Amino acid sequence: MTSKEKIQQEIEQTLQSLDGTKRAEANPFLFTRIQARMNKKSSRWEERAFSFLSRPAIAVAIVVVVMVVNGWALWGNSASGSNETVTADTNVSELANEYNVVASVDNYDYENMTNE
Amino acid sequence: MINETELIEQLKQGDETAFKTIVEQWKDMVYNTVLGIVQNETEAEDLAQDVFIKVFEKINTFKGDSKFSTWLYRIATTTALDHLRSKKRKKRFGFLQSLGGDGDEKESIPDFHHPGISLDNKERAAVLFKAIDSLPENQKTAYTLHKLEGLSYREVSEVLNTTVSAVESLMSRANQNLRKQLEEYYNKHYR
Repeated sequence: MTSKEKIQQEIEQTLQSLDGTKRAEANPFLFTRIQARMNKKSSRWEERAFSFLSRPAIAVAIVVVVMVVNGWALWGNSASGSNETVTADTNVSELANEYNVVASVDNYDYENMTNE
Repeated sequence: MINETELIEQLKQGDETAFKTIVEQWKDMVYNTVLGIVQNETEAEDLAQDVFIKVFEKINTFKGDSKFSTWLYRIATTTALDHLRSKKRKKRFGFLQSLGGDGDEKESIPDFHHPGISLDNKERAAVLFKAIDSLPENQKTAYTLHKLEGLSYREVSEVLNTTVSAVESLMSRANQNLRKQLEEYYNKHYR
């Protein structure tokens, strides 16, 4: 047999080497791994949101916005402060009288169950 | 036992038990297909997971016009081929980066051993897999589905969404290319 014929024989045998190949079996824990990946994927959205919010520029911007809103609220309160305080105090004592709420523990008569 | 149509309907409702049944039923088929294409067991396992995640996410697009297995084979082959393309791109980029190095290019040796091959055919099959790896994508897919999954030409044509004669032509060209590759290999290595 010449070497060319031998090579042809090798080629034929190699081409037939996949005949009768059994199916490769997947990992028996494939489903568990898929589940883990799917859970990880769904938590990725929260991770992304957190990492966005924790960027220094974004965090500083949020703090500034919160401070501005607080400052604006405080300034608004102090501008019309005294009248509203009186009104609020009056409202509170009216409400307390109406519902017999004890205003202070110190002047409550436990024996007679009345305010002194 | 629950039938395929009911199983698919349940999966469309997001039923986890149905999904588990589908994974258990088709995992070897998917794994064997992607393994034949990517020729790497670790990558094939990751890709098999990708395939089933895609199945879960895209099940509502499955209208039942084709068989579920055909649809599954399509996802598996596309996922495996996409992976090979991205790997090739990275390799090319790595090659460009390494330009200016010692330029010592080593000849790659056949190193993939399919677990379903009998021991006496192991070395020959590794040589054949190396040759299959160099085939164009559609020839590689047709050859893998026919030889490793045992699909008929008609079934392969359904997966590739083409005609039976187109598959015959693909297989004939794949065989010609493989013969050419093997001839080169044995001319170099045969003593």
